[in-house]
Amino acid sequence: MIKYTYLSIVLLLGMTRLSAQDNCYAFYLAGDTCRYQACDFLEKAPSYFQLTREYHLIKDQALAICPEYSDIYRAKSTAYLKTGDFIQWKKLIDKAVELNPIEHLGYRAWCRFQFFRDYQGTIDDLEALNDLIDYNPGPCQNGFYNLNIAMALCYKMLGQKQKAIQIIEAHLADETQYTGVYDNLHLGVLYFEIGDLAAALKAFEAQEASGNLAENQYHKARVLEKLGQKEAQKEALEQALSLYQNDICMFDPYGHQVDKIFLSDIEAALNEL
Amino acid sequence: MKTITQLFLLATLLACQSKPSAQSDYPRMIGDIAFDKEQDDPDFKLCSGDKRAIQYYALSEKPYAEEKPALEKHFLDQYDAEKTTRESGLIRIRFLVNCEGQAGRFRIMGMDWDYQKKTFDTSITDQLMSLTKSISKWKGFSSKSRGLDYYNYLIFKIEAGQLKEIMP
Repeated sequence: MIKYTYLSIVLLLGMTRLSAQDNCYAFYLAGDTCRYQACDFLEKAPSYFQLTREYHLIKDQALAICPEYSDIYRAKSTAYLKTGDFIQWKKLIDKAVELNPIEHLGYRAWCRFQFFRDYQGTIDDLEALNDLIDYNPGPCQNGFYNLNIAMALCYKMLGQKQKAIQIIEAHLADETQYTGVYDNLHLGVLYFEIGDLAAALKAFEAQEASGNLAENQYHKARVLEKLGQKEAQKEALEQALSLYQNDICMFDPYGHQVDKIFLSDIEAALNEL
Repeated sequence: MKTITQLFLLATLLACQSKPSAQSDYPRMIGDIAFDKEQDDPDFKLCSGDKRAIQYYALSEKPYAEEKPALEKHFLDQYDAEKTTRESGLIRIRFLVNCEGQAGRFRIMGMDWDYQKKTFDTSITDQLMSLTKSISKWKGFSSKSRGLDYYNYLIFKIEAGQLKEIMP
């Protein structure tokens, strides 16, 4: 179910952003003739799949009308991102960021993390964004993480686990922000990794209450093993196996998330009981 | 007659406005890999021709027959960092997989951490290319009407010659 919910969100977000179709009339009302004309052109142009030559030629025509229309560079960059062409992707998304950093820094940061595991680059972009805004940076492109959580995961991957914990705890304490579908899972793993088993268990139980998944039960079992609770450990691993076999686990069509586990991990842990 | 002429002119105008120019450096699809007789195996055949290959993320399931830890093990067990230069950055190897699960038309690209093009030493790239070509567990896919070919890629994170991560 999580997988299909995720796919729905991805598709919806993709439809709203990648078509680069803004509300043209809003540009008109704001007196932004340049973007209004380019937007109007795009609205009337035929639609093509984002990897096709025609898609890019139409976007280039719109850029000829309005070279400052940053969303178009971003839309064009996506084709290169999804085909792994990090060099051309970066050139295009850099242009979008240069024209409108507040709008695109968070997206560039997320892509650096999701597609290229460029942890320091992600942190640099998010810090640059936070210097420009006085509000929460909001969700990442697929909607599953707040960008602050993405930053925390980058710190974790760079070995700064206490800093990662502080960021996640601050996010969870902020009642104006939603709790992401994996936030407590990541927090629990972080606490486990620094040896705070009680805090880890508390986080896994919070994750269980808000949305259980195979990873949560698997990592919870590791805590229970350390606590010497063999029966509870076995029960958690069996739940992990059942959840995994029912596709209730972390899923990303473009890659694999931090803290994701696989069937072989669960089976190995069960065999060691 | 006047109305028909006006409609014709309007249609022509709209067509001129919206139809992209045929002249461009873009391939048919971004990322297309055309057969190159200088470097590609002529025996590698696509099941549905060059124009119908899809992207890995559009598949109904992940393309490797086992899960990611097995793919990582394939590389980590055989990649010898002792033989490499101390370079860092990302290396992408992109290729096609046909409906029978055979891979071909491998292309390599490298970047430094400023996202600038980088040509890594062959002590790194030859190993990664050879190990990628030796993978035999890509899945073959079919639809109801035809065999599906797809583009896939692996990105290797290299730090001082060490293989640190494999994506996606």
